[in-house]
Amino acid sequence: MKNVLSVVTLLLLILSGIGCSQTPTPAPSSAQNQSFESALTKAKGTTVNFYGWGGDERINKWIDTQLAPNVKENYDITLKRVPMDIDQILNKSLGEKQAGKSKGSMDMIWINGENFYTAMKNQLLYGPFTQDLPNYKKYIDQNSKEVQYDFGYEIKGYESPYGKAQFVLINDSAVTPETPKNAQQLLEFAKKYKGKVTYPAPPDFTGSAFVRNIIYDIVGYDKIASIGDDKEKLKTAIQPAMDYLKELSPYLWQEGKTYPSSIAQLDNMFADGELVMTVSYNANSVAGMITTGRFKDTSRSLIFDKGMIGNTNYLAIPANASNIDGALVVINAILSPEIQASKYDPKNWGDLPVLDNNKLSSQEIELFSKIPLGKGVIPQDQLLSKRLPELPADLIPVIEEVWQSQIPGKK
Amino acid sequence: MHHSRLKPYWMILPVVVFMGIFIYSILNTLIQSLGILPAAGLNEWTLSYYQAVLFRGDLFPSLQLSLYFSVVSSLLAVILGVLISALAVRTGFTRKKLFQIFKVPIIVPHLVAALLILNLFSQSGIISRVFYQLNWVQSPQQFPSVLFDPYALGIMLAYLWKEVPFVILMVVTIMEKIDGSIGEAAVNLGASKFKTFYRITLPLCLPTIYTSFLLVFAYSFGAFEIPFLLGMTSPKALPVLAYVEFTHPDLAHRPYAMALNGIMVVLSIMLTYVYYRIFKGDQKAKAGGGYQ
Repeated sequence: MKNVLSVVTLLLLILSGIGCSQTPTPAPSSAQNQSFESALTKAKGTTVNFYGWGGDERINKWIDTQLAPNVKENYDITLKRVPMDIDQILNKSLGEKQAGKSKGSMDMIWINGENFYTAMKNQLLYGPFTQDLPNYKKYIDQNSKEVQYDFGYEIKGYESPYGKAQFVLINDSAVTPETPKNAQQLLEFAKKYKGKVTYPAPPDFTGSAFVRNIIYDIVGYDKIASIGDDKEKLKTAIQPAMDYLKELSPYLWQEGKTYPSSIAQLDNMFADGELVMTVSYNANSVAGMITTGRFKDTSRSLIFDKGMIGNTNYLAIPANASNIDGALVVINAILSPEIQASKYDPKNWGDLPVLDNNKLSSQEIELFSKIPLGKGVIPQDQLLSKRLPELPADLIPVIEEVWQSQIPGKK
Repeated sequence: MHHSRLKPYWMILPVVVFMGIFIYSILNTLIQSLGILPAAGLNEWTLSYYQAVLFRGDLFPSLQLSLYFSVVSSLLAVILGVLISALAVRTGFTRKKLFQIFKVPIIVPHLVAALLILNLFSQSGIISRVFYQLNWVQSPQQFPSVLFDPYALGIMLAYLWKEVPFVILMVVTIMEKIDGSIGEAAVNLGASKFKTFYRITLPLCLPTIYTSFLLVFAYSFGAFEIPFLLGMTSPKALPVLAYVEFTHPDLAHRPYAMALNGIMVVLSIMLTYVYYRIFKGDQKAKAGGGYQ
């Protein structure tokens, strides 16, 4: 009988799902501005489900062996990491919204850029919440463009900074002494090492960033940024960069007829020696790759003279999170100098910190300065001096479509 | 209440539930493809997504690619599977324990099959390295690139590795039975072994062969992981195209993905109908031929 009941319940659930998908769901709850102290008390002994990209073993390991024990010890919160690509996270969130599920399965998500834009447009996030976090008020430069805008889209307190990334090229000085300083030199480089250079096909996140970086180098960031929201003008403006990519393609891996579908494949082929160059949206990843023995000791990061694209990535809370208190406490902990320093250590993850150095005490600054930077890495000040902002989120798919229609398989 | 009278209904409940979920998702796909997705603010019925999808330049190359590799790989899988089954039955190999090894690829997921092919056949893969060590090629780059190629060789290799054993699994037991009973009778009556196979065993196995072709074809036509991992950037297989649309950061793009899925659903239903007709025709032919 029990079986029948559960089957009937399941059928009812399915049917109620059909009903719900036809009716608009209410707007997400807004923050009640409760005190952080009460969140601390309520969060004790709870579990926070942290959904985010899980494609990098070192990041996963940092969350499992540094972050999770820290919040367990200090706040008695169990942090459960669930690896999932952001597009699937959004699909899941949208699915839960369609089903009218008020107690969602996700409490905290790792997000930025066009996905944040989508989540906001579809009212999938809880907030504003950043002003409730003591560490946010204490350590974050709230006037910084990167704290106010995510890929040109206003954050309005719905995201808290998690880490900073910057795009770099990587090659091995023992195999290739060259250090291409702009797109033109990269073309020479590809000609010399014919068939051994390529990049992941957009919409892969890193591949898409590579294409934008080429656009910045050929057309110039200012010129692209000044276009604003006009998609047709953008298409015309980026054409010189597309022409460059067309010129580059015959010298690429598989003669540019096809491209690796993911950054993981590119890294593997570089590690195997099938390629002489890879790319990364983590400026310090090369050090970690050398430490784990995947890349040779002589591998190093390279940047263009005109600058490399950089972004901040963020943490957000789904509108239907079951454990908002727990998520607030964990996000606050992530903004502490201890956690940011442990994240910055190339031995762990090597992610650039988001705290404002002017707001740190000398002891707190030392937490960062005592960390040895590791092999092949470009120092933080040099990176920051060559840092270019991301484009508005809704323009990125336009560039990806132009790339898809003009570059692969067209000879 | 008679327990026994209700029993059959209880027993089909799991199937009903399963079919319910299946039909629900297909309906959901079709509804979304017609522009109804309230969560993304879309509330109006429209055919414009189908229109847009049909007129975009990459649909037909994708469809062509998907049909090409699923037809070719399924045909090859059936031919190889039937040949191996026939040989195994004839030589008595089916009774050996070692024969069971053919079941291994059936258990292995398609994703793993794709990685296996990648590790074996990529230019930094095992075969290329062996060739290089044996000095058969001057550098691993000279190894012919069978993956990510315009002929979809990598995709078809992966499917063959998975599907040939599946066809064997479907065909070999029936073939063995026929060969053991009717086949033996035919041989006793003076038919040659080849003639027995060609005139008796093979025709009697045909329904099973058709079925296995259809299953294998439907799978490779609709599956995403192997063409995603081993296919070219352009054209993309139809399911990969749908996946890219599905993961588009703008949720208002979802109906495009669903329209692509809708096209796949319609094609699959059409092919099933064709199969059904062939199968029925075959049944009739057989009844007329007096085999049964």
